[in-house]
Amino acid sequence: MAKLRARVITCLALAASAACTGTTGSEIVAFEAFAAGPADLPPDAASRGLTFTNGARWTITLTRARLHVGALYLNRSAPISGGQARECFLPGVYVAQVTTGMDMDALSSALQPFPAPGSGTADHAVTGEVWLTGGRIDQQEDRTTIADVAGTATRDGESMRFEGTMTIGLNRRNRDVDPARPGAKPLCSERIVTPIPTSLTPTDGGALVVRVDPRAWFANVDLGELEPVSPESDLRRIPDEPEPAPAGNFYGGVRAAAGYRFEWIAR
Amino acid sequence: MAVPARLLLLASLAASLAAARPALADDPPAAPAADGARARGGDPEPAAADATTGDADAHREDATVTVRGRAPAPSRGASDFNLRVGELSRVPRQNAADLLKLAPGILLTNKGGDGHAEQVFLRGFDAREGQDIEFTAGGVPINEAGNLHGNGYADLHFIIPELVESLRVVEGPFDPRQGNFAVAGSAAYELGLARRGLTAKYTQGSFATQRMLLLWGPSRQSTHTFAGAELFDTDGFGQNRAAKRGSAMGQYEGRLGASGSFRLGAQAYTSQFRSAGVVRADDVASERIGFYDTYDRRQGGDSSRYSVWGDVETKTGDTLLKQQVFLIMRDMRLRENFTGFLLDVQKAQQNPHVQRGDLLDLHVDSQTLGARGSARWRTKALEQTQELELGYFARADRTASSQHRVEASTSAPYLTETDLDSRLGNVGLFGDAGLRPFGWLTFRGGARGDIFTYDVLDRCAQRSVRQPSASNPPGDASCLSQQDANDAGVRYREPHERRGTASIAVMPRGSILVGPFTGFTASLSLGKGIRSIDPVYINQDLPTPFASVEAGEIGVSYARGVGRDVELMARSIFFQTHVDRDLIFSETAGRATLANGTTRTGWVGAVRATGAWFDQAANVTLVRSTFDDTNLLVPYVPDVVVRSDSAVHHELPLRIGQDKLTGALAAGVTYVGRRPLPFGQRSDSIFTLDTSASLAWRSFEVALVATNLLDWRYRLSEFNFASDFRSAPQPTLVPGRHFTAGAPRGVFLTLTATLGGS
Repeated sequence: MAKLRARVITCLALAASAACTGTTGSEIVAFEAFAAGPADLPPDAASRGLTFTNGARWTITLTRARLHVGALYLNRSAPISGGQARECFLPGVYVAQVTTGMDMDALSSALQPFPAPGSGTADHAVTGEVWLTGGRIDQQEDRTTIADVAGTATRDGESMRFEGTMTIGLNRRNRDVDPARPGAKPLCSERIVTPIPTSLTPTDGGALVVRVDPRAWFANVDLGELEPVSPESDLRRIPDEPEPAPAGNFYGGVRAAAGYRFEWIAR
Repeated sequence: MAVPARLLLLASLAASLAAARPALADDPPAAPAADGARARGGDPEPAAADATTGDADAHREDATVTVRGRAPAPSRGASDFNLRVGELSRVPRQNAADLLKLAPGILLTNKGGDGHAEQVFLRGFDAREGQDIEFTAGGVPINEAGNLHGNGYADLHFIIPELVESLRVVEGPFDPRQGNFAVAGSAAYELGLARRGLTAKYTQGSFATQRMLLLWGPSRQSTHTFAGAELFDTDGFGQNRAAKRGSAMGQYEGRLGASGSFRLGAQAYTSQFRSAGVVRADDVASERIGFYDTYDRRQGGDSSRYSVWGDVETKTGDTLLKQQVFLIMRDMRLRENFTGFLLDVQKAQQNPHVQRGDLLDLHVDSQTLGARGSARWRTKALEQTQELELGYFARADRTASSQHRVEASTSAPYLTETDLDSRLGNVGLFGDAGLRPFGWLTFRGGARGDIFTYDVLDRCAQRSVRQPSASNPPGDASCLSQQDANDAGVRYREPHERRGTASIAVMPRGSILVGPFTGFTASLSLGKGIRSIDPVYINQDLPTPFASVEAGEIGVSYARGVGRDVELMARSIFFQTHVDRDLIFSETAGRATLANGTTRTGWVGAVRATGAWFDQAANVTLVRSTFDDTNLLVPYVPDVVVRSDSAVHHELPLRIGQDKLTGALAAGVTYVGRRPLPFGQRSDSIFTLDTSASLAWRSFEVALVATNLLDWRYRLSEFNFASDFRSAPQPTLVPGRHFTAGAPRGVFLTLTATLGGS
């Protein structure tokens, strides 16, 4: 009888342990999040500026390059090439998020923490998004300064100082609306930098780093096309508008995926 | 006779039952069996030829609350639970759905409010709001075919718990009588009123809850002749959980000739309720929202159900004939918001907009007309009773269902997601034989065939167009009248589309019962069941994609008297079931949607001991549910469920006048293990203790009920999905933990008076 009882208890224990084990797959993770300038910045870039030559042959020394990052997201899928105009976001594709924004210094390669940690699932991410917004992504107006730059530039003996700020509000509204597809280019899509190729899997306790390279912002900016702020000044200001071309190219540079890179630091 | 010879004889008997000797004319039809009789696996004990009417003595009532000549379905083995409520009615229960907990492996949750159907988890199945369990009340189906919230949605709130006489739960598709939705099993409520006379009951307690109940059972009539009505009103716990409902049920049972009876019944139910919905665990942790709070006070719903039914059961010679017809009118509205401000993404054809809110406004309006009937023929052969039953089931449903999204700022609908007008038909035939070569060996089984027909008018069939007309842009309209352009330009079309299809399913089912031997009966059961698919998935002329289940189990049951007064019943069952298309909750659709195949394997243990002064039932279920393709756990399904129902009752050594006081204590204990959630998470476990204490004197009773006595703060339902309730500066798009709160401690006082009972 004692043997029988022992066997029954053993069977029940085995059944209970089998019932209570296993997983539904993946994992919920929490992680720290940081923003930083490129890893190859000279150590004194923050104090002496970052010097580089852009596609318009301007040798630029950036002394100020600040960016407001509204949020970060990582996706498990990449957009289909040549696909239809995408929605601003597609629920169901996200594996990681950092939803509280910060102002970061792109001239510092030091890790600058986001004010709140990120969260996600332990699924592989193939693309990332940087949201450049101060308010809700689908609001029409947003006067938050997204990018704030200053520096000097020289080309063929010509030199100048320049500065500029950039916002993404009604000034970026699509003015060429197709009446059949009035929502095809919504303002929210202007605020999202994507797709940023990546290949990482978030893990609990790790850290997500987004590196921002301000050199990409000026890739096609011909500063010489800007007018001085006054006839006697060498200061040129980049307008916060789609025109003229240098302003548009600067806006396009800030929104170019090439200027951003995601890294993962395991715990 | 030697065993092989008997089996050979049995085989020939199955083919030529008609040639066998007719049953004795005075063979009484079997009576409903209590747990013990079922567990024995043999024929239930016959009822008294003319059962007495109810009695004031509760224990005696249990023995005599049987129907005049009404025959129950034969036992299908260890998982066929014929649950006599008896003294366990003293265990606190919120509604008739709570009675299901008397069966093993049941967990009830509710994410939608007091008038929303309970979500039922049964033996490793997430049966949602009834989609995987066939529910009936007095034989009348409760599952709603074509309900948009869930095909088979079963709202049990119309049943007044005091009018439930017994409950038969078959945990598996093992009985050929089980029809559509019997995937995890079936639950059949038998209605009756043991307490005769006029009973008035009033309850008041926590959360400003009031309940008024009137019951009437004419003293010289059958226990199946009754009337009852209740009014219920509560503010509910926390925020936005108020509910109001009224329900009335009545039935008359009369004699039909010498050995027959008929029943006529009617029922009315209407309710309005609010729902708190889900809250995010991270918001609760950061105190952005309270544990019992809500994000959206517009959540809730309305529900009504009106039905009439009539049935006849009579014996002609050696054949028992049954026939029932029913008519049901049902109306339901649900407003739920699981995702906040997440799903209203900007579409190209729409005018620019912000997220307008994800509140779902779902409405279902349905009418059901149906009938069922059977003929059971009994005979004597091999010195045993042999049976053959042939029957049918038929129902027609006309269902109009729609689902809209509602804007948070204006409460105006801005999007039509679904607008269906469905006509559904279901006709089923079954044959069931009960063959006994020996007194200790019974073969029960047969087959069932069902045809399901669909005629679905989709009033919103065209929802997007890639190249809209520039001169007549569709804008924000949901149901479009243009389709993609060709060389001739944009083409016009009507926004609706009609789809129809039909399919037939055949389901074999059988059980072998061996015993009883000194109280032990072993059983082996195999069966196949189906769940018809939601009309929203129907395509023209494509075969209807049934979800089918194959189930098998082996069990042992024990039923015997112990000592003078104690009836003991115990069961141990190992089971395995496989579903080829399961349903998994989708927060974006606001309901369950199709998923891959799943398999569940487990064990059930149950015991019930009933004595002169006590009644104790307890059960344990262990189960492992996995997806076939990945072997990952099926989310939300509990793998450990433990339940205990206890009641003690006795006369007290106190008198008022000439009459003694009677006291009773009852307790219901539930433990649910940590359920698997999506993304490798586990929910919290659940432990609740509900108690009651009562004093009765003559026709009066006072009872004090405490639910969740320990005031344990627990999460009734937990989910992992993405939502954005604007608790962070930017949208929260990755999955996070959400839950619906379980009720805190509630204390309720009930006064009962019964007048005029025999």
